[in-house]
Amino acid sequence: MSITRRIFLKNGALAIVGTTMVPSFLTRAIYAAGTAAPGKKRLIVLFQWGAADGLNIVVPHGERAYYAMRPSIAIPRQSVIDLDGFFGLHPAMGAFKPLWEQKHLAIVHAAGSPDNTRSHFDAQDYMESGTPGVKATEDGWLNRALAGVNEPGASPFRAVAMGGSVPRTLAGPVPAVAIGDIRGFGVGGGQIASNTFEAMYAQSVDAVLHGTGNETFEAVKMLRAADPEKYTPAPGANYPRGRFGDSLRQVAQLVKANLGVEVAFADIGGWDHHVNEGNVQGQIANITGEFSQAIAALWTDFGDLAEDTVIVTMSEFGRTARENGNRGTDHGHANVMFVLGARVKGGKVYGRWPGLEQEHLYEGRDLALTTDFRQVLGEAVYRHLGNQDLAKVFPGFEKSSGDFLSLLS
Amino acid sequence: MRRPQKPLQALGLILLLSAFVFTAKAPSQSTSKMPEDKRIVHALNRFTFGPRPGDMERVRAMGLDQWFDEQLHPDRINDNAMESRLAPLRTLKMSTREMVENFPPPQVLKAVANGRMTMPRDTAKRAIYESQIARLQQRQEKKQDLSTQEKDQSADSTPGNMDSVSEQARQKHAEAAMYADIDSMQLLQLSPDERYKKILSMYPDERLDLARRYRGPKMLDLVNGMKPEQQETIEAIINPQIVIGGELSEAKLLRAIYSERQLQEVMTDFWYNHFNVYIGKGPDRYMITAYERDVIRPHALGKFRDLLVATAKSPAMLYYLDNWQSVGPDSELAEYGPQRRQFRRGRFGQIRMAPPQKRGKNRPSGLNENYAREIMELHTLGVDGGYTQKDVTELAKVLTGWTIDEPRRGGEFKFNERAHEPGPKYVLGHTIKQHGESEGMEMLEILARHPSTAKFISRKLAMRFVSDDPPQSLVDRMAATFLKKDGDIREVLRTMFKSPEFWSADAYRAKVKTPLEFVASAARASGVQVENALPLVQFVNRMGMPLYGMQPPTGYSMKADAWVNSSALLNRMNFALALGSGRLPGTSLDAQELLHEPAPSSSEAALSALEQNILEGDVSPQTHAVLLKQLNDPKITQHKLDDPPRPPNVGAIAGLIMGSPEFQRR
Repeated sequence: MSITRRIFLKNGALAIVGTTMVPSFLTRAIYAAGTAAPGKKRLIVLFQWGAADGLNIVVPHGERAYYAMRPSIAIPRQSVIDLDGFFGLHPAMGAFKPLWEQKHLAIVHAAGSPDNTRSHFDAQDYMESGTPGVKATEDGWLNRALAGVNEPGASPFRAVAMGGSVPRTLAGPVPAVAIGDIRGFGVGGGQIASNTFEAMYAQSVDAVLHGTGNETFEAVKMLRAADPEKYTPAPGANYPRGRFGDSLRQVAQLVKANLGVEVAFADIGGWDHHVNEGNVQGQIANITGEFSQAIAALWTDFGDLAEDTVIVTMSEFGRTARENGNRGTDHGHANVMFVLGARVKGGKVYGRWPGLEQEHLYEGRDLALTTDFRQVLGEAVYRHLGNQDLAKVFPGFEKSSGDFLSLLS
Repeated sequence: MRRPQKPLQALGLILLLSAFVFTAKAPSQSTSKMPEDKRIVHALNRFTFGPRPGDMERVRAMGLDQWFDEQLHPDRINDNAMESRLAPLRTLKMSTREMVENFPPPQVLKAVANGRMTMPRDTAKRAIYESQIARLQQRQEKKQDLSTQEKDQSADSTPGNMDSVSEQARQKHAEAAMYADIDSMQLLQLSPDERYKKILSMYPDERLDLARRYRGPKMLDLVNGMKPEQQETIEAIINPQIVIGGELSEAKLLRAIYSERQLQEVMTDFWYNHFNVYIGKGPDRYMITAYERDVIRPHALGKFRDLLVATAKSPAMLYYLDNWQSVGPDSELAEYGPQRRQFRRGRFGQIRMAPPQKRGKNRPSGLNENYAREIMELHTLGVDGGYTQKDVTELAKVLTGWTIDEPRRGGEFKFNERAHEPGPKYVLGHTIKQHGESEGMEMLEILARHPSTAKFISRKLAMRFVSDDPPQSLVDRMAATFLKKDGDIREVLRTMFKSPEFWSADAYRAKVKTPLEFVASAARASGVQVENALPLVQFVNRMGMPLYGMQPPTGYSMKADAWVNSSALLNRMNFALALGSGRLPGTSLDAQELLHEPAPSSSEAALSALEQNILEGDVSPQTHAVLLKQLNDPKITQHKLDDPPRPPNVGAIAGLIMGSPEFQRR
């Protein structure tokens, strides 16, 4: 099926390229479409703001200590979606079960940032910059990951962030487009104003503004030509209502419009469950349900394009192994990451499990860290995006490609 | 005051000057000097938030040096008009404690609900408290409902059952919403005063419904026409968290646009960003008003040492960078816990030694290096300023005990001897003998006068005022003044002002405006009247610079690459068009005023006048040609082919000029 699709696209591309007077943005879109076949990789990064409770997301139901420490918020063994006899998914995450069974979904447990901060904002900052403990880093790891991949005449949609501004993860020299709402991406004063601005920036001798202006109007036109207003997700791609579902639907829209998206960033807040976290039902169930359904919908929506896509999730740190006095959890340390992709060796929980007995806990209270998040991201950057200069992407990180978990084939 | 220019002359001038501007960036001319007549434009671009109509003439009449000297002494400039413009924003004058009282955080509300604190008697305050307590209670009930639902479902959890429950809930919700809409229509038809009274007389639950419906931009309808303090109360009922940050952000824009003490405002923005504090970190929301007002602004043009000490002792900074909970590992607090007395009286009066308490699980019991690191890395020496990890740890020990008295109730700085690490410390080659609070003072003096600090601060100032990559010769000269004049910021700026590098031709319009600078400069150039600055604040946020919203301690970048991206650029263009065409709520623009003459002889003349008045004529020939073509395009000037040409839409052209590449630089 994917073969017929590629042939069609190639023929279509040739047909149009053969004619004269083809606007550059259109040919580029077509080439982008042509290269949606192997070679053109996409990495989608999803951030869970607020420190998700990894222990209630991928539940170590084989751990006695887990149940001892969480008398009211543990997920009962009979309720979890068992994965391997020891770990299980939160019951609200049924949408992930088929992805696990098809071996597209891998899990890395006890992963995260090695820095010991329990401050949301420091920890987020460290994860986004990709340099735990170093605050002076100006750019983000995902931008540095792209900067190393040579791309002459890159699409303005090479790096996109769903939201009002470019997140720190994508800050840096490679242009990144922030899109809050695809429908609002353009000049609002009518076509005349838009054309006038376009001409001004196209003819400007101010190199910086000329360049960004051209990228901007090219992006606006590419988007208009792709006609995203009429977008219908693929059958079976049921995005949940809410901002996260909207964000991922728009990621799919941009990717499927062949705009040349290489990396995309989206985020979901609301994981900071200090009070009444819930267990099988409640806050944690609602948000893990929304989270997993949206990702599964994106996966379904991608169809063949999923072939060249890797999706990776992260959160700034985990939560305390014990529940607190308010049936919630406080700020902790290590957490769980999901990696999803056709070339992911899924159906397996990666990383060394440190255990939850008192003597194994980090600072006597949190899940200890056995996998640095940069080992996971580094592998995606190295093996999937093809940028092998990890010293530039994660400066100061001593592990090399030999330390990968080998979760990508 | 305004001197209408003959169009032809203006055009000639534009071509002449633009030829200058757009060749000036060639590196071969990097040492060439700026033409005399551009010096005033340059000074206004750098030391203010952009020229207003008439500013050029005023500075010329006064003399540039004289004007700069006056800007260096803000106390000599009458700014009464600014003060009366800000008068309605009452939180600007409140202490942090008053703010906590007026806009209660959840902790205070819970205390009132539990009877640990008393409910305020004042009607307006009471309404705020009652609404917020009702909101907390509703949330609580919702959670309980959920958990009872869980129990019901675990007893009989068929999916069909669940659907019908949520279906019923949805219907009920839809009905309630319909009735609420009718009520709210009636509410909006009342006079502002009646509307205010009506809202205050509502039941807390009703007010909550109201709050839900009027969150966000719709709130402007609800408070339309009310007196400032009424407006504030209603906003607080709807969401107390937004009032403080909203007023502070509004004030920032209003000051940038209207204050006569422009350099003081530019420097206040600079130092706030240098000593950044994030509004979203816990009680910092309540602290930053006082921080900017009492810590930053009074020292903005003073001695660096005073500024550094003031920030170090501010609750806002102590909280933001966690020093308030840094505890010496060998301090009394770490050893014995929070209990003050080491001796307890037994039942019959004999004195017994209290056993050392075990370390509590939530009690801070160790060093927090966060502030110690940032003060050297970001506030004084710079990341390459020559300090080690050992220096960070030792400085953290020096600063233990520098904390806040009741951080969540608006308390002030206090030194807690019991949290202070005993013994001598060794920082940057100095031995700091044990003497409590003054150890910190000793270190701040050393840091404030360090040669690395002089260089780091001078470079940053030069980046703000001269170029993204300022010449080393200039930085060295400024740093020398910094050391010689004991960190006198005024003198450092004066040295910069007198340096040839500041006036070199390639510095002219070399800086890309930050979103704040862009929005403020557009408002100033267009002479718009701002009644409500919140829509401007929202645009600054959308351009990627949420005011007081920079989470990391680095502050916002001053370099071009941080601000030039697609969505930001589109937002700049959209803002310019909205401002020019009068579509921006809360602002009114007299477009004809912008022409500075009643009836230009032609559309070309109108264009030239606008280019002169908004951009001092610094429009490139390319941009000018694009605009001219638009003006003469029959599709724009005529509705139908037979119609007579319409006069050009002055506001729309002004919007296009403000959205042009040229206006993005200062």
